[in-house]
Amino acid sequence: MIKVTNLSKSFDDLAVLKEISFEVNKGEIVVIIGPSGTGKSTLLRCLNYLEAPTSGSVEIGEICVDAKKHNNKQITQLRKQSSFVFQNYSLFANKTAIENVAESLITVWKTTRNEAQETAKNILIKVGLEDKLNFYPSQLSGGQQQRVGIARAMAAKGEVILFDEPTSALDPEWVEEVLAVMKQLALEKQTMIVVTHEMQFAKEVADRVIFMEGGYIVEQGTPEQIFEHPQHKRTQAFVKRALKR
Amino acid sequence: MQSSFDLQYIIELMPILIKYLGVTMEMALWGFLFALILSLSLALIRVFKVTFIQHLAALFISFFRGTPLLVQLFILYYGLPQFMPIFIGMDAFTAAIIGLSLHFSAYMAESIRAAILGIDKSQMEACLSIGMTRLQAMKRIILPQAARVATPSLMNYFIDMIKSTSLAFTLGVAEIMAKAQMEASSSFKFFESFLAVALVYWVVVLFFTRIQHLLEKRLNKAY
Ligand SMILES: Nc1ncnc2c1ncn2[C@@H]1O[C@H](COP(=O)(O)OP(=O)(O)OP(=O)(O)O)[C@@H](O)[C@H]1O
Ligand SMILES: [Mg+2]
Repeated sequence: MIKVTNLSKSFDDLAVLKEISFEVNKGEIVVIIGPSGTGKSTLLRCLNYLEAPTSGSVEIGEICVDAKKHNNKQITQLRKQSSFVFQNYSLFANKTAIENVAESLITVWKTTRNEAQETAKNILIKVGLEDKLNFYPSQLSGGQQQRVGIARAMAAKGEVILFDEPTSALDPEWVEEVLAVMKQLALEKQTMIVVTHEMQFAKEVADRVIFMEGGYIVEQGTPEQIFEHPQHKRTQAFVKRALKR
Repeated sequence: MQSSFDLQYIIELMPILIKYLGVTMEMALWGFLFALILSLSLALIRVFKVTFIQHLAALFISFFRGTPLLVQLFILYYGLPQFMPIFIGMDAFTAAIIGLSLHFSAYMAESIRAAILGIDKSQMEACLSIGMTRLQAMKRIILPQAARVATPSLMNYFIDMIKSTSLAFTLGVAEIMAKAQMEASSSFKFFESFLAVALVYWVVVLFFTRIQHLLEKRLNKAY
């Protein structure tokens, strides 16, 4: 359902992604791990063109966009195929929780306001925020804000939800409630690509783990393969350090 | 010869001047409305870096900030009709409004632009990530927040514009300053006449400053 082919990205002279290719099936949960500065965020951001790749193509659902020849309309189409959960939540500060979640339905999918509100409310109930519907982001804890962030991504009707370190800006006390929501999504077979440093989550939830370093995919496999029997030296070294933490 | 201060004269002059306040406020309100529309357009052109026009916008802003308002008014009213016949029929009142809105739009564009750029960029990315276009994001998420930030300084420009309408008398607009000047030269009570007009401006400005504070309080309460 998702097919990334020879994706490369450079910032001026700095090559961050080098000919990355991989596929993700419908309902699959893929976790991307790797050292800092390796290009994990850049890869996710290239998948929906928040960052324009230098070359290669991204295909999600019916839409395929080639870095060398694309137009704005294609990019908007591609973006509708996915949604994004940001490290710093990036909620709309002038909108309440329910308005944040309903926004894509109203603006992008042209749902009626009432219907959008109803859907948004149900999603917020699902992430455990039924008592915060009319709160502004500034009135919510980090964990609550990130759950609104996930709810907003769920509402957007994308095929896949992209998570960029959704728990790393959170105080430790809020991490579990956010991971719990993500685990729930995984049980429902929501397709997800998750960049995270939460190795326990990767072990428990991932169908596949991708280890990235230096702009390449070094190794990928089941959590067991990657965490128990890594093939490459660099994977071994990273996993050993990561699991000790 | 030194004359004695004539308070009675000021009191009698006030109602006469206030009759002309309407013209002053009309210029300020129309001027501000056009300036608002123009400055928002200029700000958006610059924020979106619209190819080619963005340089024109920058040039426009630079010129109208870089030259005195009085000079701009003279060019517009006395200068342009010599070269462009369509301006010949333009009356002084219209010219003043055009001049004021051009001049102030340059300043206001910069403060609107700063307010837009001050809104956390990640909210724009969040909009794009759920499939919104940049224009939708601007309209529904960024501009409402930027408006809140920019309102105090836009109100300052409005107050400034009220005072700047006094320059319109140099084009022959019969506004409050022109009336004060006329009264002064017939009564020779220059000090009293101009003090009276100053008092009228002062009260008007105090009134709008009060509104500004109330508005800011309300804006600070929301989210
Ligand atoms: N907008 C940008 N302009 C220039 N360089 C950038 C930009 N964004 C990222 N980079 C560089 O690209 C490289 C990869 O960054 P990226 O954020 O993708 O890494 P990451 O794997 O997500 O790291 P982390 O685990 O710290 O989040 C880094 O060297 C970074 O400095
Ligand atoms: Mg990152």
